[in-house]
Amino acid sequence: MARYKHRKRILAHLPLAGMACLFGFPFYWLFISAFKDKSQIFKLPPEFLPHPWMFENFVRVFQETQIVRAFFNSVVIAGGHVALALFLCSLAGYAFAKFPRAPGRDKLFAFVLATMMIPVAVMLIPTFVVLCKLHAVNTYWAMIVPTAANAFGIFWMRQYAAQNIHNDLIDAARIDGCTEFQIYRRIVVPVLKPAMAALGIVLVINIWNNLMWAFIVLRTESMYTLPLVIYLLHGENRTPFELIMAASVIATFPLIIAFLIFQKNFIQGITAGAIKG
Amino acid sequence: MRQGLWRRIWEHRHFYAFISPFFLIFAVFGLYPLLFSLYLSFVQWDGLTEIKWVGLANFQNMLHDELFFTSLWNTLVIGLLYIPPMFVGAFLFALALNAGWIKLRGMFRAAFFMPVITPMVVVAIVFSLIYSQEGGLLNYVLGGVGEVFPSLKIKPIAWLTSDTWFKPALAILLVWRWTGYNMVLMLAGLQGISTEYYEAARIDGAGLFQRMWHITLPLMRPVFVFCAIMSLIGTVYMFDEVFVLTQGGLGGPGVSGINFGLYLFNTSFADFKFGYASSMAYTMAFLVFLASLLILRLRKTEN
Repeated sequence: MARYKHRKRILAHLPLAGMACLFGFPFYWLFISAFKDKSQIFKLPPEFLPHPWMFENFVRVFQETQIVRAFFNSVVIAGGHVALALFLCSLAGYAFAKFPRAPGRDKLFAFVLATMMIPVAVMLIPTFVVLCKLHAVNTYWAMIVPTAANAFGIFWMRQYAAQNIHNDLIDAARIDGCTEFQIYRRIVVPVLKPAMAALGIVLVINIWNNLMWAFIVLRTESMYTLPLVIYLLHGENRTPFELIMAASVIATFPLIIAFLIFQKNFIQGITAGAIKG
Repeated sequence: MRQGLWRRIWEHRHFYAFISPFFLIFAVFGLYPLLFSLYLSFVQWDGLTEIKWVGLANFQNMLHDELFFTSLWNTLVIGLLYIPPMFVGAFLFALALNAGWIKLRGMFRAAFFMPVITPMVVVAIVFSLIYSQEGGLLNYVLGGVGEVFPSLKIKPIAWLTSDTWFKPALAILLVWRWTGYNMVLMLAGLQGISTEYYEAARIDGAGLFQRMWHITLPLMRPVFVFCAIMSLIGTVYMFDEVFVLTQGGLGGPGVSGINFGLYLFNTSFADFKFGYASSMAYTMAFLVFLASLLILRLRKTEN
């Protein structure tokens, strides 16, 4: 009887493994297509391994496209956006959690939460107009700043700060003569770090993969991000398809590798909002 | 009293100092756009020439805008095509990964979740490669099936350029893309259910099916509701997927590939009808809000 159950359990892995292969397949196809010769990509019957392995696709994509510059732009934008958003959200989130008697605190917070209900789509045009007026179109700022004051982020930071920062610690620091900002930097930030890491990951995914906003505000080739360069290469028909695949691999794999290393933080980041919200 | 308030504000000056960077950016890029957009929905404006007040004309035009209703219909059909299979798949995967005796759980979770963190533009390009009418893998596989079962009369399908097949093709892509996200949320929900419930039920002699029906499903309701609302918002405002697959609404199968998100984008940034687009965005936000309230009510019943 026990043995029968054991066998059934092993068999139960099979459909799961099958589905995992199905879900993993587009990654496999992406990866091998990046190493195929152009004629092999569209060959019938399809071939499941490159022959020969065209490593030079990656050399050519560096030489013939703007991918290096785009990679640099993507890194600057992602880094700047995440740093700014984490700073704003942790500072304000801490303040909302730990200054309970400040006049207007609850009303201000409720107000921020209420705006969370309003979809980004409503804001597209006015945000673009504001950026035009500030002469910020086609700059990094246009990508970094607008979504940095993130209502979801502040909500989450406040929650985490309220549960994990002990008032005694803050009071002791005050008695020792720490300034309020030193308290934030030396006491609050270290405690908030796990939550900031998880929030940071969500923000990185969103900004790294963002196509629509980049399409609207980035106008010259030297400013393009990875998704935008790939979209435009795909749109114009003269770019060899194997180079588009190589560029896609370059755009995709940093996040995937980061995910495989920091899987726990990723999952935390995704679920935190849902479970508590 | 008045003086007391000012003194209290002064005492808490650090609070205001700490929230002010956030609120400064929030005012410029959150609050102001919100109000400006509301104003824009009553005007005609292309971003360059003078703003012209038109009152409710934008909202009236919407009622006669065939493409607007087509985009809503497409959005609805796409949602109905992909959300149910996605939900079922996500829940089954979550149940499996929640079972302690399943091995390699981290690996399975990674496999299902990886599509979520892939740039949408890359996903769309890889899928358009797989969907390609000549030389695409999917049609090749279908052709193989057709040879084994000639009675099915399978022909190569123009997945991305035919009216009939664009939506199913998009739905397959969306299921692939979002199942892992919902699975992770549902898994977190399942892990939050105390095992005491199940132990008590087992002592009472409840079978697998009864435990599922009387414990798991009711307790998972808040998570399901959250997933449903996220899916609703995601479907209505979906952009990247359709934009890339239809090459900006210009390629692809014509209007049957245009959902609300793409139509809103094109009205705004291709036709530069800022006023009309704003009125559409606000109308849709209102409809989504109403629909979300309806879904939220499901959370409460039966308690």
